[in-house]
Amino acid sequence: MTALPRLLLVECPALTVPAVEPGAGGDEGGRRLRLFARVVDALAEVCPWIDPVRPGVCTLPIKGPTRYFGSEGAVLARVAEVVTTVMAAGPALAGEGTAVGAGDGAPPVPPVPPVPPVRLGVADGLFAATLAARAGTVVAVGETERFLAPWPVDVLGDPDLADVLVRLGLTTLGRFAALPAPDVLARFGAAGARCHRVARGLDGELPGWRVPGTSRHLLAALGRDLALTEHQPGFWGGASAADERAAEVLTDLQRRLGPEAVVVPVLEGGRGPADRCRLVPWRPAGTSAEDDRGLHGRAQARGGRASEPPWPGRLPPPAPARVAAGGTGERAGAAEVADGDGAPVAVTARGLLTGRPARLSVGGGPWMPVTGWSAPWPVEERWWSRGRRRAARLQVLAGGSEGRAYLLVVERGRWRVEAAYD
Amino acid sequence: MFDTERVKLLAERVRPTAPSRTRLLPVLAPLASLLPDGGLRRGTSVRCGAGPHGGALSLALALAAGPSAAGSWCAVVGMDDVGPLAAAGFGLDLDRLAVVRSGPAHWALATGVLIDGVDLVVVAPPPHPRPAAVRTLAARARDRGAVLVVVGPWSADHELVVERSSWHGLAEGAGRLQARRVTVVARGRGAAVRPVRRELWLPTATGKVAAA
Repeated sequence: MTALPRLLLVECPALTVPAVEPGAGGDEGGRRLRLFARVVDALAEVCPWIDPVRPGVCTLPIKGPTRYFGSEGAVLARVAEVVTTVMAAGPALAGEGTAVGAGDGAPPVPPVPPVPPVRLGVADGLFAATLAARAGTVVAVGETERFLAPWPVDVLGDPDLADVLVRLGLTTLGRFAALPAPDVLARFGAAGARCHRVARGLDGELPGWRVPGTSRHLLAALGRDLALTEHQPGFWGGASAADERAAEVLTDLQRRLGPEAVVVPVLEGGRGPADRCRLVPWRPAGTSAEDDRGLHGRAQARGGRASEPPWPGRLPPPAPARVAAGGTGERAGAAEVADGDGAPVAVTARGLLTGRPARLSVGGGPWMPVTGWSAPWPVEERWWSRGRRRAARLQVLAGGSEGRAYLLVVERGRWRVEAAYD
Repeated sequence: MFDTERVKLLAERVRPTAPSRTRLLPVLAPLASLLPDGGLRRGTSVRCGAGPHGGALSLALALAAGPSAAGSWCAVVGMDDVGPLAAAGFGLDLDRLAVVRSGPAHWALATGVLIDGVDLVVVAPPPHPRPAAVRTLAARARDRGAVLVVVGPWSADHELVVERSSWHGLAEGAGRLQARRVTVVARGRGAAVRPVRRELWLPTATGKVAAA
């Protein structure tokens, strides 16, 4: 798992309400949600990657804004200023002693004055950042694990787990974190293991900490009615609404699974399928110039499609539906090609096969009869540099009359499956 | 108490006036006759299958091409090795395609999140997905109006299977892969629906899909 992102967590205590229905107009919950929506909207100016976690709480990756504002302190000051300004301009919240949420069992919210408008905290991952905001601190880079250690185990929000841990004498996150992971899994199951990873600072997300659909509710609260737009592209500006919705979930996934987990294709010049199309981490449109290299590349690819240089030795269409994730690298699946006598087939320096391919085995799997193969395509790339490579590509049809088609590449006598025509 | 006729009338009146426009994602013309509505109904799932000769992924990408070209976002989950060039060949707009490398542990989470914001999710679940996860995702797709195109095991609303497949253009040591002719059989849920068979080029020599 990649390192957790360093997050600035912004909590507006007066606006944290239990999950509220959007558009439940008139009620206190709706007022708070609308005000929080305006806070988030205003904070998007500080960082477009703002992520509403639940009503009243949002995070933003602090690295980018820090570069822009000069220091983390400057970002914190700016965020505090934005939130305070928006909240001050907002409508008065229930604070005159009226019972809030009466009737639906919601706990009464204390009156506004003693509650600070905003709490800020900085640490790695959502969990630590939440605790940092609770403590009102900025955890130094690399100190998140040490910061977590003294907290009582009940901050994990799992009373049953906390109960057992305390009875075992494991009262703090640090002590819990020190348990070996396999033991935790065996004793406490998957949920316990998840908490353990969080306590060790390896994971920032716990079930229940994030209220799904918060962004959607906030957008609805701002009056951007997505339900209206999404079925009528082009009429209500639906195309951009679709982009917005997609951007929201892709950002969400990147935060949960890491930036490398959500990738988009960028077309480039090259010979092999993996060279011609690279997958780069997705970036939302309109982020900083440094961040949108991907977008730039995509625009280039789009504009340049017609004028693509004719790459000599390039693989002709149709393109294979599966391309080994490692591309021409080492991770691509190994393969073996043998002739009728079982002797390995190779490609000579002059680009000729040493035998007639009769059998193919992929990834150590069973031999499949080869029913067709192309002449080898020589690959001699970067001949001007020391990193030059001599290789050859071969299309092979294997597995009987209705065979499956593969694109193999052979380099230094070793065959790999570069792509499959699934 | 209830006047059934009036209830029917009322139901008629509240029904959207142009369901075909709003509830259907368009598919490429050669694939339309494989689907009962001539398109992908929002909130439903389609399973793409194939024999050992393969072709399920191409079929799934070709299905996604129609909605993509019409402006929908598409995402691919559980297939880190999907070839975007092939997708683009079928007509997918690469500017609205995301590949999610969730790993087998998080495929359901990723799919669930994507359903919220993407019109069409092509997902390859692990070999034995938990039935509860399948049910949850199907319900979520129904709720959000997304289409799930599944490459792998799934109890889908609709099933398209590549029954036969033969590549053209490759000989013994000569030629190259040029086009693949396939027979796709479409089955709906329930015995009442008669299977439909279509001959397709998937792909054609230029990487597209066409009726054979």
